[in-house]
Amino acid sequence: MTLDRPPDQQEVGPENVLQLPATARAADIALDELELVYAFIYARVGNRADAEDLTQQVAMKAIPRLREGSAASAIRGYLFATARSVLGGFWSTRLGLSEAELHEDLAMAVPQAPPSEARADTVQAILAQLSDNYRRVLELRFLHGYSLKEVAADMNSTVGAVKVMQLRALRAAAKVQVEL
Amino acid sequence: MNKPENRVDKIVSDLLKGRRLKLRGGDAEEKAAITMAARLAAARQGGPQRMNPAFRKRLAQALESAPKEPWMTRRAALVAGVGLAATAVAGGIVGRALELTHAPTRLAGGPVNPIPGKWVDVAALADLAEGQGKRVTAGGVGAFLFRRGETVTAVTSICTHLPCELWWNGGAGLLDCSCHPASFTPEGKSTDPTYPLPTLNQVQVRVTTAGRVEVLGTA
Repeated sequence: MTLDRPPDQQEVGPENVLQLPATARAADIALDELELVYAFIYARVGNRADAEDLTQQVAMKAIPRLREGSAASAIRGYLFATARSVLGGFWSTRLGLSEAELHEDLAMAVPQAPPSEARADTVQAILAQLSDNYRRVLELRFLHGYSLKEVAADMNSTVGAVKVMQLRALRAAAKVQVEL
Repeated sequence: MNKPENRVDKIVSDLLKGRRLKLRGGDAEEKAAITMAARLAAARQGGPQRMNPAFRKRLAQALESAPKEPWMTRRAALVAGVGLAATAVAGGIVGRALELTHAPTRLAGGPVNPIPGKWVDVAALADLAEGQGKRVTAGGVGAFLFRRGETVTAVTSICTHLPCELWWNGGAGLLDCSCHPASFTPEGKSTDPTYPLPTLNQVQVRVTTAGRVEVLGTA
């Protein structure tokens, strides 16, 4: 019954012949899908350490499903459902945000595949709706990585004033985001 | 006095240095500002982020080494309470699982008594949010703290099913296992009525007169 199988598969018992190829394929699919999950999570938490922790949580929770050898589309659906739940838990724990307070785009939106490609555009669209000063302070600080001191020098202002402006600009940007 | 702009800037500075989000209290607008800051910090990196190769490798290994559920019944997995060798044949696994049913492991729900134990300062009472689990470490003992008024309780951070770290799912108000769909209440009780898992071990905790929370851990 193993005549047609490649030599490497004839080495193992019949019960493994049925399991291992499916498992290996599922693991490969899972890793590729987890790349998308990682990008999705990173785009929301903005740092590698948290993104890695949360992606790992998603992977560990999804293992039983991954083992079923489902199609990539079904795996993706399950992984992103898990990712949304894990992100919900993250914001809830770190910020005390309740599910009701979570903005749809933070955790609940169904991502397109591949996700985040329009990410930079979305951020630009948000920035474009801010006043010149607010946009400038966020661009310099986040996109160019300026320190507060450098931003203050660029904008002929003081560190204290820039700090306040940064908070107001972030609040204003968060409101724009809701309307997008 | 810690003003909102200072709190938020601390978080922004940390994000821009690639550090984790360490968040503190604040009103709804401050929280919205913080989640926006995280999104902007992510956008700074350009297009979609890919996993670091070392992390991807770790993840692949974790996927490979996790127990192969389809080869054993859910019941057998639950009663075994341990990870099983992935390469063992199916009959061997189930047989071993059933043997382990009677193996004494640890007293469900009993307190963790490290020897020699040491009371370790892990947090200020004021830092604990009412009803929210907080993960702390006292030497070799990992625990989740729960505050109710002026009292604090603690349970182990290790699941009684597979020896995996639990995480606090604040939305559901439960401790979830990172390795399996299993959850526990803050009191450590399993939430699955069909296949209840052993209760989480209690971790000994006390609050000092100075308002510090100490956990009985190890040096």
